[in-house]
Amino acid sequence: MKKGLVLIFIAFVAVLVYSLPLFCQTTKTASGEPIKIGGSLPLTGLASEQAKWVKAGYEYWAEDVNKRGGLLGRPVRLIIYDDESNADKAVTYYERAITVDKVDLVFGGYPGTSNVAIMPLVEKYKKVFIGQGGHGKSFEQGFTYSFGSPPLMGEWSGLSIAGIFDDLIPKKDWPKTAAMLTMNNVIGLAAVPGILKVFESRGVKVVVNETYNLPLSDANPLVSKAKGRGAEFFIVQGFFDDTVMIMRAAKAQRYNPKVIWNILASRIPAWGKELGSDGDYVLANNFFPPGLPYPGNDRIKEGAKIKFGLSEPPDFFAIGYCWMYTLEVGVRGAGSLDDTKIRDYLRSRPLDLPYGKGIKFDSRGLPPPFNYTVQTKDGKNEIVWPKDVATGKFVYPRPAWSSK
Amino acid sequence: MTLSYIIESIISGILLGGIYAILSVGFGLTWGTMKVLNISHSVFAVLGAFVSYWLFVKLKVDPILSLPLIVIILFSSGAIIYKLVIRPVQRAKDVIMASMVATFGVAIVVENVMSYFWRPDPRILKPAYASSSIFLGEISISQGPLIGFIMAICAISLLYWFLNHTYIGKGVQATWQNPIGAALVGINQERVSLITFGLSIASAGAAGVAMALIYAFYPSVQSIWTLFVFLVTIVGGVGSVIGTGLAGLLIGSIIGICAAFLPFVWVNVLLFALLLVILLFKPEGLFGN
Amino acid sequence: MRDKTNGRYMKYGLFLIVMFMLFVFPVLKPPLFFLSLLFTAYMYVALAESWNLMGGYTGYISLGHIAFFSTGAYTTAVFMNRFGVSPFATALLGGFFAAVLAALVGYPVLRLKGAYFTISSLLLAVVMQLIFMNWDFVGSSVGLWYKLLPVSIEINRMIFYEVMLFLATAITLIVRWVEKSKFGAGLIAIREDEDVAKTMGINSPWLKMKAFILGAFFAGVIGGVYGYYIAYVHPEVTFNINTSLLILLMSFFGGCRTWVGPLFGAIVLSLVNQLIVTFIGAEISRILYGMLLVVVIIFMPDGVIHYIRGLFVHRKIRHGDSIL
Repeated sequence: MKKGLVLIFIAFVAVLVYSLPLFCQTTKTASGEPIKIGGSLPLTGLASEQAKWVKAGYEYWAEDVNKRGGLLGRPVRLIIYDDESNADKAVTYYERAITVDKVDLVFGGYPGTSNVAIMPLVEKYKKVFIGQGGHGKSFEQGFTYSFGSPPLMGEWSGLSIAGIFDDLIPKKDWPKTAAMLTMNNVIGLAAVPGILKVFESRGVKVVVNETYNLPLSDANPLVSKAKGRGAEFFIVQGFFDDTVMIMRAAKAQRYNPKVIWNILASRIPAWGKELGSDGDYVLANNFFPPGLPYPGNDRIKEGAKIKFGLSEPPDFFAIGYCWMYTLEVGVRGAGSLDDTKIRDYLRSRPLDLPYGKGIKFDSRGLPPPFNYTVQTKDGKNEIVWPKDVATGKFVYPRPAWSSK
Repeated sequence: MTLSYIIESIISGILLGGIYAILSVGFGLTWGTMKVLNISHSVFAVLGAFVSYWLFVKLKVDPILSLPLIVIILFSSGAIIYKLVIRPVQRAKDVIMASMVATFGVAIVVENVMSYFWRPDPRILKPAYASSSIFLGEISISQGPLIGFIMAICAISLLYWFLNHTYIGKGVQATWQNPIGAALVGINQERVSLITFGLSIASAGAAGVAMALIYAFYPSVQSIWTLFVFLVTIVGGVGSVIGTGLAGLLIGSIIGICAAFLPFVWVNVLLFALLLVILLFKPEGLFGN
Repeated sequence: MRDKTNGRYMKYGLFLIVMFMLFVFPVLKPPLFFLSLLFTAYMYVALAESWNLMGGYTGYISLGHIAFFSTGAYTTAVFMNRFGVSPFATALLGGFFAAVLAALVGYPVLRLKGAYFTISSLLLAVVMQLIFMNWDFVGSSVGLWYKLLPVSIEINRMIFYEVMLFLATAITLIVRWVEKSKFGAGLIAIREDEDVAKTMGINSPWLKMKAFILGAFFAGVIGGVYGYYIAYVHPEVTFNINTSLLILLMSFFGGCRTWVGPLFGAIVLSLVNQLIVTFIGAEISRILYGMLLVVVIIFMPDGVIHYIRGLFVHRKIRHGDSIL
């Protein structure tokens, strides 16, 4: 009996396997029908907070494009799966989108760890993949269909810091010492050599240079060390949780460096909302700060207002729109949904994109190195560098912690 | 390296350890006594943190004051979960395994319900005292962890007192030491289980508030907190309230000492490796009996 | 007597037909996603079966299975990356390293019982992840890439499908064989009561060690293939604690006292997850998934297979048949 049961079960599985394709009816896309754009995002789990904004950006873009008459005369439709913040599920769902839903195009994934696994896949399927990509090294693997538009490149962080020294602070007021706390993660670590070089060439002494593992259990000793050694330029390269812990410890200890600079945390809407005035005057580097005078930005701003009643678009909402905008530029330019043609179009000429004009992708799919610096004021981020696109005045040194 | 810095990091670590202890004590209690391995333990800590956050943001109730309310709410949730999920699962041949799967399901459900209603955005609980310090000469002690630590010590002491000095508490202990004997004396085992589980979840809720005074929290952070819970429980010895408390302090001191003397990147490696060694040589936990 | 032999032939025949159907499935040219989906399902079957050797039969619940899985993945990644050797050639080596690791940690860890064993196995995975995070030779927090197979994606997916189908079948059959052997009887005796088993002359440390090493070896081989499939290894991707938990859930969902349980659990949970993901609202589908686990365990606290068998046994008694 037992064996019989087992075999019935196995047979059932076999039948199920064969009938799987029937569950998912696929239709051949004819012209006039919607263009399907698919993939997966971590809508639940650890990366879900930013991913939900990315999703909102994608959806707003789709709505916006459809309002403008669609892409190549056809409306667009998004197919978004939830990969539960799990890289191998992300890979499977991209395959589902490509081979079952037969999407015409794929969108960029999130976060970097998933993208690193998706990039080889889209290369095999010859699908243009425009997003932040993985980290810097993932663009060195010879993939041709992946574009970082804009990418998240720790390697370029030094530009932002150099800019702060050279363009924003008079030389006599330069900070003389620096402390750098970096998470043990490729985004953080990639930036370290570049930043150290900037400091060295400007005569800044790095008094603390520590790496910590995630999750960070205690920020107090780190902050205490930086304070004890009198670091004036304080760098925190972490995710939201740990950066917030470090900020809270810095306030509790009344550590008042002249500059606090971070990579991600202060760009997330929760920063201003939750930290309030404690989060003010913090600097961050950014690849696509909202409010740039380039194409697409006015629509992003409008979208944030209509959809969420926000005067300033959240970063990942804007960046999601920007990735899609790049895809749109590629499709319109190529005049076709053929991914290879889109890729070749994007690579062959300078393009005007939301984060810069005349951008030319190199053979790795990256724009030329660039960076923006933003400063938080009243919970909002203003661009302070480069000066020609600045939307706010740079406040230096940052005011001491308010006592409340 | 100055002496004040070393003292400061060790104090900071110890405060943190106390908070880990309260986070873990209920987990060890249900595991040790009811054989229920409750994977959803820290999801209720996050729930406690959220309740405290909403009371603070919407009604301006200070987290310390809202603590009794949170304990009551979480105790009730614990009782409900016990009735709905844990009691049926206790029929299984292997209660530990069955409870793991069932509570894993509970954790997924509660996490995603929170995420659905309150979005997955990170939150910070910041009453004014959470961002200032007490300065003793050169040494500064952050008040957030300090207050969390005091809450933790109070909660653990209360739990200890309850289990050892009240009639119901003694019944709980008697049942787990000798179920048949306790039943003969007329102790209602189901009621005892319900109280044990409810207390465990209530302590998690209190811990959530203490954790929120230091860490940012969001629904999915529960998976990270669960790791801390496992560590502290194992060092303290499953089922021992005082043991868990001491274990928390020990782990905190290790974090503090490592932070003071080592490059920070090695703190976690050393901590976990040390725990592994402790486990291998003293498997019943350092303070277990 | 004759009936019995006939029945057996029929069963083998059916088994072969089913295996053949699964084997030729890719030839029908289904959308490639199904090959990947089944690859993942087979992988979980193989992992859950290999985990069950320890976790199910002896009741030593390990949360460190991903440590062995990752050892395999990193072995093939390093060999490909540094020496250009194909992962299919080094997957067995990955299994070997995983087995060596299991032998090294097995001696101290297997002395622990119950919860302590569970936690120490979890710590093993955590410590290894942290070490790999900081170890440049294996790519530290950057990770390592595999060179892609120089074939089209169709062939690529077909190869991985067949390899994993083979692994899952082989591992399941071996585990089934173990279950029915003297070795398996010893393991089950350990689960029932280790002290009694010892007095009965069962060399429990050695049996546990064998099961632990065998399970680790399988996990290592699977990991080696998986790394190549996903084409990238990274401590956060391979040492995912959730994978460990998922393996355990699948085994237990099916029922971990027999080899059928993990097979059933892995396949059903993999497919269910796919089916509900299309529901509106990502959270809603997760909530449904969580509720499914809770409800199933409430009504079938010893796993689905145990429950189904119970139904059959009762029916048989009613008909006056022998239970055996």
